[in-house]
Amino acid sequence: MIVCVAIVGHQNNPLYIQSFTEGDDALKLHHVVHCSLDVVDERVNNPKKSGPMLNETYLGLLYPTENYKVYGYLTNTKVKFILVTTDLDVKDADVRNFFRKFHAAYVDAVSNPFHVPGKKITSKTFAERISTIVKAFGLSSAG
Amino acid sequence: MEEYPDELRNPPVALISLVGCPEHHPAISSYLHSQQHPINVLALPDFSKVPVVLAKKVKDSGSEDPPGGILKRDWLLKHRTKIPALVAVLFSSLDVSGGPTQWLQVCSDLENLKAAIRPRNVKLVVVVVLQSSSAELHADGNNEDRMIALKKRAEVDSKYLLMYTPNDVSELKQSLDRLGNVFSELASAHYREEGRRIRTKVEKRGYNFPELHMRYCFKVAIYAEFRRDWNEALKFYEEAYRILWQMVGTKTRLPPIQRIVEINSVAEQLQFKISTLLLHGGKVLDAVQWFCQHNVACRRLVRVTEAPYLHWEWMSRQFLVFAELLETSSATMQSISSFVVGGTDRTLTEWEFRPAYYYQLAATYLKKKQSSLEISLSMTDNSSEADSSIDSVVPSTYVGQFARLLEQGDELSMQPLSDEQYVQYTLAEGKRFQDSYEIIALLKRAYESYSSLKAQRMGSTCGLDIAKEYFFLNNYVNTKQVCDDIITLYRQEGWVALIWEVLGYLRECSRKLGAVKSFIEYSLEMAALPVLPDTSITFLGFMESGPAGLPSLQQREHIQKEVMELFGKDSRDGLSVEKSTDLRLTEENPLNLEIDFVSPLRTVMLASVAFHEQMIKPSVSTLITLSLLSQLPLSIQIDKIDLQFNQPQCNFSIINKERYTSTTMISSVQQSQRMENASSLVLTTNRWLRLTFEIKSEQSGKLECVSIIVKLGPHFSIICRAERPASMDDLPLWKFEDRVETFPTKDPTLALTGQKATQIEEPEPLVDLALVATGPALVGESFIVPVTISAKGHDVYSGELKINLVDVRGDGLFSPRETEASFLDGHHVELLGIAGAEQEGKSQGSDSNINRIQQSFGLVSIPNIKNGETWSCELEIKWHQPKPIMLFVSLGYSSQEKDSTSQKINIHKSLQIEGKIAVTINHRIMLPFRRDPLLLSMVKPFNDADQLVSLPLGESNVLIVSASNCTEIPIWVESLSIETDFISASSSCCIKPGSGPESTGSTLLVAEEEYKKVFTVKPEVDSAPLSLGIVCLRWRRDPGHHEPSTIVTTKHRLPHVNVEVPTLIVSSECPPYAVLGDPFTYFVKIQNRTPLLQELKVLLSDSQSFLMSGTHSGTVFVLPKSDHVLSYKVIPLSSGTQQLPKYSLTSSRYSAGFQPSSAASTIFVFPSKPLFKGANDRGKNLESVATI
Repeated sequence: MIVCVAIVGHQNNPLYIQSFTEGDDALKLHHVVHCSLDVVDERVNNPKKSGPMLNETYLGLLYPTENYKVYGYLTNTKVKFILVTTDLDVKDADVRNFFRKFHAAYVDAVSNPFHVPGKKITSKTFAERISTIVKAFGLSSAG
Repeated sequence: MEEYPDELRNPPVALISLVGCPEHHPAISSYLHSQQHPINVLALPDFSKVPVVLAKKVKDSGSEDPPGGILKRDWLLKHRTKIPALVAVLFSSLDVSGGPTQWLQVCSDLENLKAAIRPRNVKLVVVVVLQSSSAELHADGNNEDRMIALKKRAEVDSKYLLMYTPNDVSELKQSLDRLGNVFSELASAHYREEGRRIRTKVEKRGYNFPELHMRYCFKVAIYAEFRRDWNEALKFYEEAYRILWQMVGTKTRLPPIQRIVEINSVAEQLQFKISTLLLHGGKVLDAVQWFCQHNVACRRLVRVTEAPYLHWEWMSRQFLVFAELLETSSATMQSISSFVVGGTDRTLTEWEFRPAYYYQLAATYLKKKQSSLEISLSMTDNSSEADSSIDSVVPSTYVGQFARLLEQGDELSMQPLSDEQYVQYTLAEGKRFQDSYEIIALLKRAYESYSSLKAQRMGSTCGLDIAKEYFFLNNYVNTKQVCDDIITLYRQEGWVALIWEVLGYLRECSRKLGAVKSFIEYSLEMAALPVLPDTSITFLGFMESGPAGLPSLQQREHIQKEVMELFGKDSRDGLSVEKSTDLRLTEENPLNLEIDFVSPLRTVMLASVAFHEQMIKPSVSTLITLSLLSQLPLSIQIDKIDLQFNQPQCNFSIINKERYTSTTMISSVQQSQRMENASSLVLTTNRWLRLTFEIKSEQSGKLECVSIIVKLGPHFSIICRAERPASMDDLPLWKFEDRVETFPTKDPTLALTGQKATQIEEPEPLVDLALVATGPALVGESFIVPVTISAKGHDVYSGELKINLVDVRGDGLFSPRETEASFLDGHHVELLGIAGAEQEGKSQGSDSNINRIQQSFGLVSIPNIKNGETWSCELEIKWHQPKPIMLFVSLGYSSQEKDSTSQKINIHKSLQIEGKIAVTINHRIMLPFRRDPLLLSMVKPFNDADQLVSLPLGESNVLIVSASNCTEIPIWVESLSIETDFISASSSCCIKPGSGPESTGSTLLVAEEEYKKVFTVKPEVDSAPLSLGIVCLRWRRDPGHHEPSTIVTTKHRLPHVNVEVPTLIVSSECPPYAVLGDPFTYFVKIQNRTPLLQELKVLLSDSQSFLMSGTHSGTVFVLPKSDHVLSYKVIPLSSGTQQLPKYSLTSSRYSAGFQPSSAASTIFVFPSKPLFKGANDRGKNLESVATI
């Protein structure tokens, strides 16, 4: 189950962060997302490691915490997408697919002429779309 | 890791035992220790100890009974330190080859030993210590038999019967090597056999209990380790580990909790062994993967619900141990990146190869243990009476088991514990330890490790955890310190939720520490954080946000209210600050909060100042707009605003009329300042409070707003640095929010260009500075430029006049180019001097008047000038080269007397002046009329183009000097003369003015007019080259209406000439005029000046205008130093200017021809004899002209 998704801007500032837990760990998820940026930085700054995947936007598993797994995705414009899930066994393809949908939703959201680039995304439509994608992810991985 | 016993942490080392001949033991043991694969030695001095060491407990054969536990605690230690793999028995050669009593003793010792080692399957080596030299031994034939007998007795192979020769150095080394080889071979054989023995047990499975299976696997692995067979060891450890997990749930005589604790302990040991082996083998990837599996397995483990803290503690230890293992081996580890890429499936990430990750998790689990222990303790707090029963609980024989030690008389016996007792025991143990310090230590290690990896966000998370732990320990100083460190990153990256949490701790610490200033700072920052009402849904899940509470608008408002109360606004209402008694702002303890450009408190108060004009005149007022912005959720009432400028006299205050008078008294100092009243000063959220006031300054220069002091309440004020709207940074954090952004000023252009500083112009000068130049300046003269200063409005005090000469074309200040002749210090235009004023200037003394004159710069102090008066002086400038220059004159003065502080008023004037050459001098040298000397230099071809003019020696040449005025200014020529040089004085050359009419006095030359003068030059010495001298022209500018100007002398050097002796001189003679039909004689006179005979060809051409008689062509010979005259009788046939018949001469000696010029052969023919008065005089005149 996806517990949190986040979009992080150029200055490593959160543009959108949404947790999907009923529990009390929203703040913890903030920390988890923030920490995962270290791994993103590490992977971006040492591109030799990902030599064969030069134009790869999907960063893969960033790091496992005791309860979560964190996946990352980096767009061409250096906006980072972070996904936190509690599933221990997630298919890579599912995550890639999720990120693709997520990216599309993000592009639509920032294409809104009323959106100021670099500011937080406050669109309700976007939020609804994201929660749909998140729910769909749960179904597909379960099935 | 330190808590593990030694035998577990280090790989096992083979153990052998030495018996007999104790004097040789140290040498042998130290040798064995120093080997590449060391062997430990158990030295037994005499034989009686052997059975004690090797004694084996008689096992009760009841294999049906389940084993008491999985692993015995002391089994490994026993094999490492007590049970040797082999026993080496040392006999002295004297004993062996000695008498029968000695031999019998040897035999009985050997028998006893054999009996003792047999049950343990320990190997035997017999070593005979040779006391004397080997030769001696062999000489004794009896020995041979004794050795064979000894071998038989010992039942050892002949290669295990060794000689040891301690006395000979070379032999000693050899025999030690021999011993070492045999010992290691036999030891490894022993361990192999033992291992195989137990392995067969495992394979046969002749037992019913998994405990035994596991135990045997463990033993096989240990034996494999003894002989350094790491692969087998690993295999069996893994097997043991696998079996161990199968045991979970199987019933034993142990109660369930203790059973799980036992399994955990054994698993821990196995995991440690496996990880160590993998890491030391360099298989880091495998080790990490193995640990991941172990981790997963641990989680699957059924937790003890009664004592969950046991599980967490154990988990924490797993991570800690692995982290330490990883850290110790990471020094030799190759770069991490290779693992990450190397793994085909990227299930492992970078951090999983870093100890920091495991330290962090260890801390996390320890924290869980701490909290669950607290819960357990709180539940069983009242059952303290059980404490006595658990006093004597000690670890029992088996790993992971505990028992109560009972003293029954002298006997000690172990009594198993019930689960309840065990839990009580662990609780009591748990109370003894302060987990928090342990947690902090772990987190610090993680923090340092992350910092070294530059993973600052991970580090910050650890830092926050440290801070929380300190907070938990009520160590507020440390909490604050750590939080202050980490909040910077969060602020920088704008993670509001995280800032909120950290600020909550900081605020609470400040409150606890009684630090009012920081408490207010943190509270205000929290209140101004962009936690917006519509995003509060997101934060619903925040339960653990610490002392900050939920990040919500309500909480922000609450915090602001709390701080506002502290400001003392409502202190009189009786609702004064409730709990925080330590935090108080009083008159003795006022607080000024400074907010600069980088302060996070800019969100609390942002002050922007804009002058409406960028440049104003002094004493003229302009508008200034002060705009304040706050993101605090509640409106603030401001009491007073002070604006501070860099010119303190401009400072002013804005008072909230209603509030200020009621709260504070206006002090007398402040009353001197300007006060403005504002009806209401209320600052609402995200809305600019714009205040516009007039401002003026007397002082010229920059007027800049420095800071704005906003007073809130009697003892609290915020000092903001003034920011300019033109380049104001975005608000931190709020810049990411989607908020309504407005301009700080109403005028949008001002918002984009407004500056916090304005330039005050200098006061207007009321003085006239006049520069007059009369036309262009002439090179050589002292050109006068009058400067007039007239005060027309105020007095002039301590004035200074600065004069600058600048080249118009800007190529340097008259520094000559290298090609140009440099003279007069290289200045082409020079400021000669400044003549003082005509009227009062002179009376003041000219020496004090002129301060400094340089060639292109002058500084003059001028006397005080009263209003309406004038003062003037003259600048004297001399041009050496014709150049246009710019004359800059600036006057600086002050309008008030004896007021050094007052502003200097400056006035500048400039004037361009052309410099021109006044006259140009030309000259021309001519030969006498109709007299032509043949100079050989003229015949010879010279390729030198600029050869000097040649003059014939002793002949009178004509020099015409002309001076022409090349300006439009009329000048007076006073005189023109030639000055001869000293060296070539009159002896060598005679120059005389021509005999023409001498003009007396000066001549006026207007533009482009020429003045000529004729001189006669007669060289008298044949010296080449000859200097003719310098032409000196004395002239002056036409003064016009002014007083007469000074005379200027312009000099022109005449070129050098060659003086040459002429060879032949041809002169023609004829009358000055002719009359039609009147015959006359035309002579051609040839003078030979050489001592040679000269042959000349003469050719005469006819002319239509004349009838003539004489030789037309022929050759004449002229004798040396003599003359020859050719004469022709000529009758003019036509009147007017006519050409005489032209003759030409050719000298055959010099191959030089001569033909007179047409001017020389022209004559005027009158139609009849002219009749004019004074014909004689005129004729004389004409003749004189002709003979010149």
